[in-house]
Amino acid sequence: MTIVETRSKRGDASDGALGGRLSRVDGPAKITGEATYGLEYHPEGMVYAVLVQSTIASGRVRSIDATAAEAAPGVLLVMTPENALPIKSATDWLETPPSEAPYEPLAREVTFSGQHVAAVIAGTFEQATAAAALLKITYDETKAITSLDDPEAGIGIPIDQMTVEWGDAEAALATAPVRIEGEYRTPREYNVPIEPHGLIAEWKGDTLTVWEPSQWIDGMARTYAEWFGLPFENVRLVSPYIGGGFGSKALPLEHSAVAINAARMLGRPVKLAVTRPQTFTAFGGRPATRQTIALGATREGKLLSIVHRSANETSMKDIFVEPLGSVTSLMYETPNLSSRQNVVRVNTVKPGALRAPGENPSAFGIECAIDELAYKVGIDPLEIRLLNYAEQDPHAKKPWSTRRLREAYAAGAEAFGWSKRHPQPRSMREGNQLIGYGVAAGTYPVRRTPGEALVRILSDGTVEVASSSIDMGQGTYTILAQTAAEAIGVPVDAVRVKLGDSALPRAPVAGGSQLANLMTGAVHKAALAARDELIGLAINDPNSPFRNLQANTLVVEGGQIASPRDAGSGIAIAEVMQRIGRDRIEALRDTLPENLRNEKDHFRNFTTITTMRSPTEGDYSLHSWCVHFVEVRVDEDFGTVRVARMVSALDSGRLYNPKLAESQWKGGIIMGIGQALLEEGTIDSRHGRVMNNNLGDYLVPTNSDIPDLKVISVGIPDTNASVLGGKAVGELAIVGVAPAIANAVFHATGKRIRDMPITLEKLI
Amino acid sequence: MTNRTTIQLEINGQTQALEVEPRVTLLDALRDHLQLTGTKKGCDQGQCGACTVHVDGERVLSCLTLAAQAEGRKITTVEGLSGPGGELHPVQAAFLEHDAFQCGYCTPGQIMSAVACIREGHAGSDDEIREYMSGNLCRCGAYPHIVEAIREAAKVMS
Ligand code: FES
Ligand code: FES
Repeated sequence: MTIVETRSKRGDASDGALGGRLSRVDGPAKITGEATYGLEYHPEGMVYAVLVQSTIASGRVRSIDATAAEAAPGVLLVMTPENALPIKSATDWLETPPSEAPYEPLAREVTFSGQHVAAVIAGTFEQATAAAALLKITYDETKAITSLDDPEAGIGIPIDQMTVEWGDAEAALATAPVRIEGEYRTPREYNVPIEPHGLIAEWKGDTLTVWEPSQWIDGMARTYAEWFGLPFENVRLVSPYIGGGFGSKALPLEHSAVAINAARMLGRPVKLAVTRPQTFTAFGGRPATRQTIALGATREGKLLSIVHRSANETSMKDIFVEPLGSVTSLMYETPNLSSRQNVVRVNTVKPGALRAPGENPSAFGIECAIDELAYKVGIDPLEIRLLNYAEQDPHAKKPWSTRRLREAYAAGAEAFGWSKRHPQPRSMREGNQLIGYGVAAGTYPVRRTPGEALVRILSDGTVEVASSSIDMGQGTYTILAQTAAEAIGVPVDAVRVKLGDSALPRAPVAGGSQLANLMTGAVHKAALAARDELIGLAINDPNSPFRNLQANTLVVEGGQIASPRDAGSGIAIAEVMQRIGRDRIEALRDTLPENLRNEKDHFRNFTTITTMRSPTEGDYSLHSWCVHFVEVRVDEDFGTVRVARMVSALDSGRLYNPKLAESQWKGGIIMGIGQALLEEGTIDSRHGRVMNNNLGDYLVPTNSDIPDLKVISVGIPDTNASVLGGKAVGELAIVGVAPAIANAVFHATGKRIRDMPITLEKLI
Repeated sequence: MTNRTTIQLEINGQTQALEVEPRVTLLDALRDHLQLTGTKKGCDQGQCGACTVHVDGERVLSCLTLAAQAEGRKITTVEGLSGPGGELHPVQAAFLEHDAFQCGYCTPGQIMSAVACIREGHAGSDDEIREYMSGNLCRCGAYPHIVEAIREAAKVMS
């Protein structure tokens, strides 16, 4: 459990209020090296596990000869499916009941290259690593399907739930005066948090402690309990700091089962750190995708029809759907639309969530297509977006709660200087640099799950907030301190926030950009309850200094309690607490609806996603919105593309802390620049291996790839979206970046690149 | 390979003896043997910069350095950067002020690189800072704020 004390030394006091630009309260721990991440604990007697992964993509393990490895110095165990203790299957995050068959985290049947097949546990990391290289593994290999384009892959399995249709899209397309059609593709992309995955597991009798970076403490703890047949309370998962996740640290993974099982078998704490190359197949990133988009329009550029067909790759054993029609059916008004999606089985690890799964590639398709239509009919790409502006949710047919996209277009265009754009492609240059301007919009839904929080006012006048929610850099510690400070009426540096421990009150997944909104709501509720109790006691307790006032209420401000009539002469909370003889006032509150306030649903709410409300449940359609304006410079001779500058205008509703929200937006934009220009998992078509499984070959943006980024908030509080008015932040800003860059590259060069990343060989 | 050797390392002004196999990297010696976990492991193969420390004042990737190679040299890690009373180094203070990190995992490496970057005289312009900080990856995308922080810290330090 981590306690983070707020420090607001720099900046002024108003920074601490909700909406203020308070510096990160967990910042001092992170910049001094004091912050302890999951893999940095050191329980007594800890030993080290190293994974061994398959070298074929399809087939079965015929034999594992561990003789040499077992004889190597320090080796305690070579774990294979043959000698591993059995593990039970667990309920999944959708609450699908577990199968009767045991769960085997080490594979006998191999369905992708880089699948875990064995593990070596030894006294030191070096010993385990050396011994792992001594395993002799033989396989019966069968032919693999290595990619979406493999001739054997076929067209895949239709996912009917993804079908969205209204009007008669095919007929309307056939008769439309203007038509365009294109195929848009995105490659396999990886999350690449700089902290690799891994964990330390320690058993004491039938209680299990796991230190592990996690985006979902309660969800993962539930799985661990079910895997090993323990009551939920016997599992403690500790994750005070998470070195980045971007979707990849929310669900339990095979390597965790291996480490926990090894600790159980050896009776010693086991640390398992997935190596960087292994991270490329220990969990999946974004699957490769392809979309065909046909637009039919009037000669003026008004949409008449959208026909969208798409597919993403999935693994041999599981179905993973990257919802490729999510933006297609939302962004623009059209009388006719048809969107369908397949998934195609490939010998790959099961794909997973990577920042804005669905919206991100979906926006790449539709935001490039609308740009192509603008050039075809000869109008400005910004104007065509306004011409087809959706005044309500075209799919759900509900009003937007707030959609400040028009304001975003206006503010972004102004700050960028869009009016200086020459409409002709390849018409702006400086020396041998071709200059291009591009624009694209993005969106991300507001997801809602009830939350829970404990707020405690202590006898010294300080306040504690506790929750099993997490902070992987989004700023949870900071904004929850600000929320409690404001709700109770204490300075922000009087608040301590404890997060990242399953022993604390429950929290749902930190995913889908929902955590900030739901946790501020829960903390606000609990803090108000604690404050009300404090005021009640101050009015009624016989020993209270306010007893004789006969007041109906009191005000709390700046850590002082005062009569509303006489606000100047307050008494410190600490003094009142001492006079009334209380060492704490505590409020545990959740935001569950009445019908879910029972033990079973409470548990389900925090350990599955079955209670998450869709963005269109209720009277409104709830989404965040953004637009990106990009200037690229393309070297005419070499085809190299640089983003020279970017302006983004974003509507995330109310920002609880603009300083931190801006950081998250910029982080999303930078990841989008990487996606557009650099990132691509390259797969060897013979062996199905990820060939660039390291940070030198799988290129993510470096400092020198990134120009100045300007972000503008155009949001207003949206209390239909959340209690305190915020909408989605974290995943929003990546959406639309890649198409904005592709559109700018077209404007610069006259070449339309429809498959990411936009690398130089595609331009020369 | 079980032979262990005793080595002396001078870390943040303190000499510490430890018994390690010769193949132990400086990074693992710091993190696993001395529990100085401020220095981070992001790749263990010289590609991310998370493990950056100073050896005799120069920035070095501790994952590509054997602990034994650092014997007799002065090692500084992020834990040794603040003043004796816990005052933040100007680079640390600027990182906090400019929100030059999110998850914080690349941050100790960024800070150690930044201190060296300024000392080397490579913080003369934003472009120069970007270039000389490009060995330190940040997946959270704090780059623009890292540049701002280094620009400001360089002023304070000069
Ligand atoms: S851990 Fe040393 S460079 Fe990545
Ligand atoms: S702050 Fe997360 S990787 Fe840089």
